[in-house]
Amino acid sequence: MSLTTYILMDFWRNLRNFANSFFIIVLPTVLFLIFGVSTEWNAFELPGGTGNVSAHTLVGIAVYGAATATTSLAGSAAVELQQGWGRQLALTAMPHGMFVLAKSIIALTMAALPVLLINLVGLLTATEMDPGRWVGTAVLTVAASLPFALYGLLAGLAFRSDAAVGAASGVLVILGFLGNNFFPLEGLLLDIGRFTPMYGVTAIARYPLTEGELLTAGDATQGADPLWMLLLNVAVWTVVFAVGCILLQRRATARR
Amino acid sequence: MTTDANSPDTNSTEAITLDEVVRSFPDGSGGRFRAVDSVSLSFARGEVTALLGPNGAGKTTLIDMMLGLNHPESGSVTVLGGSPKKAAQRGRIGALLQTGGLLPDLTVKETVQIIAALHVDPLPVGEVLATAGLTEIASRTVGKCSGGQQQRLKFALALLPSPEIIVLDEPTAGMDVSARHEFWDRMRITADAGTTVLFATHYLEEAEQFARRTVLMHHGRIIADGPTDEVRQQAGAAHVRVSWSPSSADLHAVPHVISHEIHGSTVTFRTDDADALARYLLTATEAHGITVRPATLEEAFMQLTAQATDPAPPEPSQYAAPETTQEATR
Repeated sequence: MSLTTYILMDFWRNLRNFANSFFIIVLPTVLFLIFGVSTEWNAFELPGGTGNVSAHTLVGIAVYGAATATTSLAGSAAVELQQGWGRQLALTAMPHGMFVLAKSIIALTMAALPVLLINLVGLLTATEMDPGRWVGTAVLTVAASLPFALYGLLAGLAFRSDAAVGAASGVLVILGFLGNNFFPLEGLLLDIGRFTPMYGVTAIARYPLTEGELLTAGDATQGADPLWMLLLNVAVWTVVFAVGCILLQRRATARR
Repeated sequence: MTTDANSPDTNSTEAITLDEVVRSFPDGSGGRFRAVDSVSLSFARGEVTALLGPNGAGKTTLIDMMLGLNHPESGSVTVLGGSPKKAAQRGRIGALLQTGGLLPDLTVKETVQIIAALHVDPLPVGEVLATAGLTEIASRTVGKCSGGQQQRLKFALALLPSPEIIVLDEPTAGMDVSARHEFWDRMRITADAGTTVLFATHYLEEAEQFARRTVLMHHGRIIADGPTDEVRQQAGAAHVRVSWSPSSADLHAVPHVISHEIHGSTVTFRTDDADALARYLLTATEAHGITVRPATLEEAFMQLTAQATDPAPPEPSQYAAPETTQEATR
């Protein structure tokens, strides 16, 4: 038995899927080139002096790309299993735990691709960040995508179709907007955004750069988010997604 | 573990044994219905058996339990002396699943390769593709394959671990007549190599042509089990036609008749003992021009399922499995 062959083949299958790689890799990179590289405010230094505005934008968009990867891969894994491929796999020597492991490796690798690419583009163009902080944000960006694996799984379990998983990935654009990923929010939108699922992970991925400091579209800052609040956001949403998955899984088992 | 299809295992002579197996599902209105209801069956090594029944008879649920994809509520399932799951993981039992999905964006060859990677000791991919007749469409995407081609691909996946037992759930669904013929020709080679074969089908002629033993299932129960020709006869089902113009007293005297039809000077009898009836007609009456036609399995099946839904169904009679000393017990 060769789990490596399975992982490589399944990874390649997902990568060559145009819709997958476009939304996971191409679109976030293009967004970064537009908002994080080509505009003039990107050269401005951040209030803390740890990097420039481009770095701030880079992390936001990279988190969005990574989250899209885990959402769509975990979701399609759930759909695959329910549509009968799981029965096919059950007749092989691979235990179910190995399947989860293989899919996790594939999803994380897929999530790492836009993060690597966008960071590379940033490095070669407009982004400035201390090297240590840079590595820190990149690692946290990949980690930030983990709760969204549960989110994608939830969509796959609930609606059992690839279209639903695609829609769930699409919703990430809205969550990304509310999560402060693309454009610095202020006022009411910021107050609402704090309670949405992408806000916490994005702010934590940016933490090495901003230490919680909130950027505005203008010159000033608007205070800082305490770390505990960000961690609470991540914890609550992770639990919500996980409980949803468990309930749906129970419903599926009871029906059988 | 061995993956040699012909290797004898001294620990068990039975390929599959089911003992008082029960499995029920919620019926949607708070209760449960029994999809499989106290089924006891056993299949000897090398035996080729057809599992017949209408939709909802419980065939797929029964097969799922033999493969460890589902578990009985009570009773036990033993495959090659161990648990079904173990046999499946070791590739000792392979299956063509009715609801087994394929990934539409893999090619035919990639599908075989990716599943081969998950078996302990698979056959070479090229060999399996050739056996299943897929070599020419190896680079075609699964989503672009016809239903029959997808069935062949599932067959290839079933063959991959070189299993000792192969289970086929409606293997020829979606195939046209010639594809079905071709499929059974390939299957016959596998069976002749000593593989134990169990297949569920809607096509009665497939059971008649391919299986020496037939198990009829209805409402989760086994209603007949035995050599295929005996099961066919079990419904009292052969037709004897003669040229004869009998009086009604003549007709009453004829033995072993279930029913009769008269068309002009032709009489057709349905009988439970064609030999006795023919002997009587030719020796004791003036009837001549006799033809005897065995009932089709379809007719036997209709007869048996009608009996099984009667308020007081007769105890289904049982036959010993062919070429084994195993009793098909209940």
